[in-house]
This record gives sequence, C-alpha cells and structure tokens, in this order.
Amino acid sequence: MDVNNIAALSGNIAVVGYGLAAVGPGIGVGLVVSKTIESIARQPELAAKLQVTMWLGIAFTEALALIGLATPFIFV
Amino acid sequence: MSNSISQLFSQVLKQGALLIAAIALVGGAIGWFVASTAGLLSALIGSGMALVFVSMTAISVWLGGRLSLGGFFGVVMGGWIVKLLGFIIFVAVLKSATFIVGPILFGCVVASVLGSLALDAIAVMRSRIPTVSSN
Repeated sequence: MDVNNIAALSGNIAVVGYGLAAVGPGIGVGLVVSKTIESIARQPELAAKLQVTMWLGIAFTEALALIGLATPFIFV
Repeated sequence: MSNSISQLFSQVLKQGALLIAAIALVGGAIGWFVASTAGLLSALIGSGMALVFVSMTAISVWLGGRLSLGGFFGVVMGGWIVKLLGFIIFVAVLKSATFIVGPILFGCVVASVLGSLALDAIAVMRSRIPTVSSN
C-alpha cells in the first residue's frame, strides 16, 4: 500500500450533497414545527392562524429540499 | 378548521395548479424545440412532480387541521417524510431514463416550486383568518 494513500474512499461525492439537501430542510422544518407547538401551547386560541403560518414556513423550507434533491438532473 | 382557512387552501391549490399548468405549457414548448418529444415529456413530468409534491403540503395541513393537535402534527410531518421519500425514489428512477432531458425537467421543477411559493405567500398575506377560533 502506498504510504501517501492510507485511506481511500470510493463512490459519488454527489450523494453527500443529497444528504445535505435533506438534512438542512429537515432541521428547518423541525424548528418551524417545534416553535408552532410551543406557540399553540401558550395560546391555543391562535391555533388556526399559527397552523397557516407554519404551513408557509414549511413550504419555504421544503422548497430547498425539492430543489436540492432534483440536482441529479443537471449535475450528474 | 374554519371556513376561511378552507377557502384559503382551496384557493391556493387551484391557483397553484393553474400556474404549474402554465409552466408545463411554456416548458413543454421550449422542450419540444430543444429536444423534441423527450423535451416535452421532461417538462410535463417535471411540472407534474412539482404539482404533486407542492400540493401535498397544503393538503396535509388542510386535512390535518380537522384532527386533534397530535393528529395534525402526525399528518403534516408524516406527509413530509413520505413526500421526500417519494421524491427521492422518483428522481432515482427517472435519472437514468433515456426519455428525460435533465436541464428541462430541473428547470420546470424549480420554476413550479418557486412560482407556487410566491402564490402561497401572496394568498396568506391577503387572507383574512380570524385571530380567535372557536375550536
């Protein structure tokens, strides 16, 4: 074995990108939902308004996931 | 869930479907000129994917709103996981398909997602949701 090449990785680096495209929005959606639960627990009468606002937050966050996961069509 | 919220979601779903249909038409025309039938198919599939996956969020919040709080979050988060898994499977299957022109499909997905986001934001800003609900 070559001493300069102690460890070797094989595979497609793009897979790491797809993982990141899922992890980032996953954390984002988790934050949106957790804050909504907290808000509804504090003020249950605002639930309807908070749920609609939460939907908008999830829609914006998941757009990143959809765009990131569709990149195999242009990068590979 | 109150009537005004149901109206908001049905309006968002209708407007989103119309916008994505328009993007499919324009993208399909461009795809046809660039890559003939494969380009047209790619634009239609890309727009269709975006329509299904963008609408699922609104539908899950709409339907989940009729359940208890636990049911609501179960439906919304469960729907999100199912949607992402479905999207990954779709991409994995279509990536190697011979009838797909990648850049056209990607362009239609991005245009549809961003366009429907803009529509959602405008609809929510213009909506009149009662601050205090009876539920």
